[in-house]
Parts: sequence; C-alpha cells; structure tokens
Amino acid sequence: MSNTTDTPLVATRWVEIGLALFTAVLGGIVMVGAVEIGIGWSDTGPEAGYFPFYIGLLLSAASVGNLILALLRTPTMSAAFVGRKAFGQVLAVFLPITLYVIAMPFAGIYLASAVFIAWFMWRDRQRSKPYGIALIATISCGAALASYLIFSLWFKVPLDSGVLGDLVAVVGGSLK
Amino acid sequence: MSEIDSLMQGMALILTPHHIGLMVIGVLLGILVGVLPGLGAPNGVALLLPLTFTMEPVSAIILLSCMYWGALFGGSITSILFNIPGEPSSVATTFDGYPMARNGQAGEALTAAFTSALLGALVGVLLLTFLSTRIAEFAMEFSSPEFFAVYLLAFCTFIGMSKNPPLKTVVAMMIGFAMAAVGMDTVSGELRLTYDQPWLLSGLSFEVAVIGLFGIGEILCTVEEGLVFRGERARITPMTILRTWAKLPRYWLTWLRSALVGCWMGVTPGGPTAASFMSYSLARRFSKNRDNFGKGEVEGVIAPETADHSAGTSALLPMLTLGIPGSATAAVMLGGLMIWGLHPGPTLFVEQHDFVWGLIASMYLGNVVSLIVVLATVPLFASILRIPFSIIAPIIIMVCSIGAYSVHNSMFDVGLMLIFGALGYLFKKLGYPIAPLILAAVLGDKAEDAFRQSMLFSDGQLSIFWSNPLVGSLTTAALLMLFWPLLARGLKALFGTRQGQARHVS
Repeated sequence: MSNTTDTPLVATRWVEIGLALFTAVLGGIVMVGAVEIGIGWSDTGPEAGYFPFYIGLLLSAASVGNLILALLRTPTMSAAFVGRKAFGQVLAVFLPITLYVIAMPFAGIYLASAVFIAWFMWRDRQRSKPYGIALIATISCGAALASYLIFSLWFKVPLDSGVLGDLVAVVGGSLK
Repeated sequence: MSEIDSLMQGMALILTPHHIGLMVIGVLLGILVGVLPGLGAPNGVALLLPLTFTMEPVSAIILLSCMYWGALFGGSITSILFNIPGEPSSVATTFDGYPMARNGQAGEALTAAFTSALLGALVGVLLLTFLSTRIAEFAMEFSSPEFFAVYLLAFCTFIGMSKNPPLKTVVAMMIGFAMAAVGMDTVSGELRLTYDQPWLLSGLSFEVAVIGLFGIGEILCTVEEGLVFRGERARITPMTILRTWAKLPRYWLTWLRSALVGCWMGVTPGGPTAASFMSYSLARRFSKNRDNFGKGEVEGVIAPETADHSAGTSALLPMLTLGIPGSATAAVMLGGLMIWGLHPGPTLFVEQHDFVWGLIASMYLGNVVSLIVVLATVPLFASILRIPFSIIAPIIIMVCSIGAYSVHNSMFDVGLMLIFGALGYLFKKLGYPIAPLILAAVLGDKAEDAFRQSMLFSDGQLSIFWSNPLVGSLTTAALLMLFWPLLARGLKALFGTRQGQARHVS
C-alpha cells in the first residue's frame, strides 16, 4: 500500500526470501535443540525432543517451499514491498519504540513511558497547531500516573520502576 | 429441562451488582480496544489477563468475555463512521456501512448494526446453551487419540480453509508450536529448547506474542499506510432507533441465514472474519436490492454484523466443550482458563458447573448490556478517534509494553514483544496469518500430550488414529480439510469442463 509517488525501497521478493530463510533457520535451531535432548524412544515412551523435532522439520520444509515459490513467481514478487518514504515513517516509530524498550530496565516503566510519550508529541511539530508544553507535560505525566494507579494500587501488579526508581525509594527510605 | 435449570442457576450467580459492574467495565474497555487502531479483541484480552489472576474465575471470564463483545461492537463503530475496520471481522461492514453514513444515515446504520449484532449473538448463545452439555457428554468418551484427532482437525481446517497461502499458514502454526515447546516438558519434566539461556527457562508466553503481533505489528502497518481519519458525524436519537427497529423485521431471512453461517463458521475454526465476508456475499447474491449493495444498503450492514457476532459467540462452544478455540480471541481466553487452573474440555462441565453456566448466563446479559452501553456511548468513542495519532500511538505502545511486562514481571518479555511486533509487520505485509500461530502456541502442549500418549498406547504406530470409527473419521476429515484447496481445484476443473460442454450442447 505504498504511495505511487514513493520510490520503491526493496522488491517483495527479497523480503519474502529473507523471511523464509529466517523461518527455515528457526526450524533448524528447533531441530538441533530437539536432537540434543533426544528424539527417539526411551523406556517411558517418546523422549522430550520427539515432537519438537518434527515441528522443526515441518517448519524448515514449509519455509523452503515458500522460498522456492518466492523465486519462481516473477510478476507479483517484483512489486515494491514498501516505499522509501513509507518505510521511513515505519522506522520513525519503530526505532523510538526500540530505544524505549532498551531504556526501560534503567529508567523504569513510568519514567521511560512519560519521556516516550512527551517526545512523540514534541516531534509532531509540523502540524498546524503544535502541542503546548503544558499539554505535553499533562498527557505524558498523566499517562504514567494513571498506569501507576491502575496497576500498582488497584490491581496490585507492581511495575518495575528501574534503577532510578530504586534509587528514589532508597533515598526516600533514608529520609524517613 | 436440565439446561434451563442450570441456566437459571447461572443467572442467579451473576445477577449481583459486582458482576453487572464488571460487565459494564468489560464492555467499555472492549469498545475502547475495538475502536483504537492497533488494539483489538485478542490483544485487549491478552492485556487484561494478568490483572485477572487474583480474581474469581467466574468474575474474570465475565470481564474478559464482555470485553470481547464490546470489541466486536466497537469494531462496527469505526467501520461505519470512519471506514476503518477496528477489527478484521468488521471489514465487510464498511462496504455498506460507510456509504450509509456518508448519505447521512449514520444513526440508522449503527442501530441496524448493533441490533443485528445482538440478535446474531443471541443465536450463538442459544446454540451454546442447548448443545454444549451434549457435546461435552459425547466428548467425555474421548481418549488421547480422539483428542489429538480433534486438534488435528482444527489445525488442518485452518490450513485448508484459510485465504492465506497454505505453506505460510504452516510456517506460522509451526512457530507457535515451537514456542509452546520451549521450557519445561510437561510429560517428563525435562527442560528443552532452552539452549542454556536462563531467560528461556520459563518458556515463551503466548500473551507476549499476541500483544506484539497484533498490537505493535498493527501500529507499524497503520503508520506505513498513513493514517487519515475522515469521520462522519453520528447522532443517535431514540426516534432514529425506533424507526430503524420498525424497519428491521422485514430482513428476517437475511438475519436467519447470516446467523446460521456465523454459527457454522464459529464452531468450525473459520472464525468471525470469514463468516462476515461469506454472509455479505450471500446477502448480495440473494437480495432484491442487489444493485444498491456497496452504495449504502442496510441489508449489507445487517448480514455481516449478524454473522460476525454469532460466529464470535459460537466460537466459545468448541472452546468450552473440547478445549479448541474457534477464533484468536477465544484462543487467548482459553489460555486464560488454563492459567486460572481450569481444564477446558468436557470435564469442565462436571467439575466447574458454576463457572460454565455463569459464563453462559453472562453471555445473554452481557450482550444486552453491550447494546445499551454502545448505543449510549457512540459519540464519546467516535470522538476518541479524533484525538491525533501522535498522542494515541505512544499511549497504545505504552499500554502494550506494560501488558507484556506484567505477564511474568519480566523486561525480557517486553523485548520479545518488540521482536514479535517486527515479525507481525512482516507477516501482515507478506500474507502470513497470525491466528494459527496463537492457536498453536496456546494448544501446543495439549496437542503434544495427546499425541505422545496415543503413541504410547500404540507403541509408535500411527495406525492408532484409525483404530476405531470415531477417531478414524476425525482423522480422515482432518486430512480432507488439509488437502481441500487441491481437492476443490480438482472438482472445479471437473465441473468447469462439464458446464462448458453443457453450454456447447445448448
């Protein structure tokens, strides 16, 4: 669904091939893991790797099938998988999520979420009416606060507040 | 009749302020996830699961199932007002729902959609009420080979009936099975496929896969397509509702046909999406107003909505009686049942009588509650979609991350969610189906147990799957389903040439 004005980044064929190779390797890894623990029969019946081995085998076989289809079917496969501009937009969302996930163990879920939301809103300045600082602060802190209230207080599922959160807790404890 | 008695008991159990409150909350949350892009019924239920661990199973299933109904209703709101299906199963509703809204009949379209949804759901619940006990009794006689044959039938139907390429369905399904195998082997207690990595010891949970594949993957697809919300205004007045209701009875035949299609597709793993498309095309073929379809014909809204909801509800029939979910959402709920310590399958009806009938009773009430809530809150939820994407997207991503984290309180799961998100984006763009992966991840261990026990009985002979008429016909049906695409092509070729000849003769 890439734009007609958008220059194509990569043909569908290559993505198909890449994914098929990935799933084939995945199947291989599963088979290796299954062989390690035994795929035969023991005194108590089939061993633990018996079933997973065939799962891995089927996975690899079906992947190879997909690979062959991707190589054979010419016309549909040469179509663009994604346009340059569209993929840029996808990356503009995917990379921040990756950073957010990496930052989470250190900054904690609350802080990381608040910063993530604030940054996302701040970035969207080219709109006709950019968000004010007050709105950004209210929404990002409000979302973090709401998740604290709902998860930690209401449902008693404590969320990781990260190294920084632990530090705050230690300082708070020593002040008492 | 004993079903009526049990139903009354169930009603008595759920008619408490606490449970009715849970229903309203569930429906509201459900409409919310149905309306928001990137969230849908399967990951809405997966996100809510960790919060139900401390609840009573009956309360938890009421909350989750009402969320499911709410999400189905919410999907119709966005289809009709914004031409954006909130759920895959409401794609067919956009064909005539959005044109109606553009013609200024948004109120009529929404009322017709919600009402036929309720009627469709009620047919599904009736089916569940009167068939479930019988099927459960029948399935009580099953032993491992029969159970494995039923699982096989479910999986093969997915491969054979799916619109996606069969090999891609197999790949998705096998990834799910491999996921389920990671961690402790349920039979021998041995650790497997962990490759000495400590973070793999506890296994890979299906909730994380659901949240990543459906949630993050969906967001990435939405971003790529460039989101444009151009919504039509909706004003639902009591007069509109009454006027639409007065018109509805004349469509009874469409309604009946769609409900039957829905029930059939819900019980077999065709799922609500296939049901709504099929019902729409049947309605178009048989309607007197055929030419008006696609331009805003109310029948084109009634048909997919009825089928969608009756499939959604009847998907719970095989889930409760056989332990086989008919849709992705039902698969997630089944996983929830196992986490609460219940064993889905025929024994559930004996051991957990209150739970089963509480759930069935709540489905009658929950759907009526849904209709009232959804009619009252359409403007509110329509305005949520007018919130800019740069605010709603990060919040959805935050909710997904917290959901993935709270499954096991582990940061590793959040990273896993991200990987599944990227995979979900590729899967969606390349036509790999997601539902079979989830189904296999949830059912993998049970299917494997059944298979290994059957192999134990037979000393490794596959002929045990044809050892008696019941298991034999199940296995044969499964293989027929698996090769259905090839068979259908063969039959078509045969009939095609015959018709061609007939035309020649005339």
